Amino acid sequence: MDPLLASIGQYLFHIFGLMAVAGALALVFSKNAIHSIVGFLLSMLAVAGCYLTLSAEFLAVAQLLVYAGGIVVLFLFVVMLVEMTKFKEKGLFQSQAKWAVAAVLAGAVVILSVFWSTWFGPGASQALTLGPELGQGLDMATQNAQAISRGLYAGYLLPFEILSVILLVALVGAVVLAKTERV
Amino acid sequence: MPSMNAVLFISFLLFSVGVAGVLIRRNVLIILMCVELMLNAANLNLVAFARHSGTVAGQAFALLVMGLAAAEVSIGLALVVALYRKKDTIQVDQINLLKG
Repeated sequence: MDPLLASIGQYLFHIFGLMAVAGALALVFSKNAIHSIVGFLLSMLAVAGCYLTLSAEFLAVAQLLVYAGGIVVLFLFVVMLVEMTKFKEKGLFQSQAKWAVAAVLAGAVVILSVFWSTWFGPGASQALTLGPELGQGLDMATQNAQAISRGLYAGYLLPFEILSVILLVALVGAVVLAKTERV
Repeated sequence: MPSMNAVLFISFLLFSVGVAGVLIRRNVLIILMCVELMLNAANLNLVAFARHSGTVAGQAFALLVMGLAAAEVSIGLALVVALYRKKDTIQVDQINLLKG
């Protein structure tokens, strides 16, 4: 492979991850709700890219279909439905925003301190590679979908079926909640 | 292949931004999107650990979480629409019917 391409490919995960975080920041801090949705879309696309670099191809495609294809459009519908201009003068953030940010930063510092101890420890820069005996069922690039379907339908059939029931409940519940009231 | 720490760190950043968004924003739609963001951070961790352990369980569970997130968004948006019809607002600090 082209050496430049190879050296970029090494850092693809970092690029996609930083894109995801940038999209998330745009989502939280933009004034316009449509801009927030665009940030959300960028974040979801970048997370799909992260899945690709982690060689979870099926999940990446599912992420694109479910989030970029479905959920973003749902959010757009509702934002168009709700008249946002009414709330313009009310201010973007809650009154307790200062304390909330302080609490989040405190939690982040706690977790970062845990990170700090592992960051320079043994195995810190160990790449995520598989032992040959473990990689059997998950032959990444070629058989990812087969491996997932085997795991899903053989090992985790019950959660899968329960999820289908949950989706049915959500379908009916959304229709019941959103339909106009008739008394 | 990225290192485990990089994946965990990105996922940690995404989760922190999600928590901050849920706590500080007034708009309930933005709050729902931030919840989605947190679910995605958890998914990223699941995929990374699936890669680490070499089993497919993490990826399968990430797929299940994705389906659950879709269900949650549909219910949440239906609630938002119903609330907007009833209270004519989507600002969470004005939704205080339970305050008594």
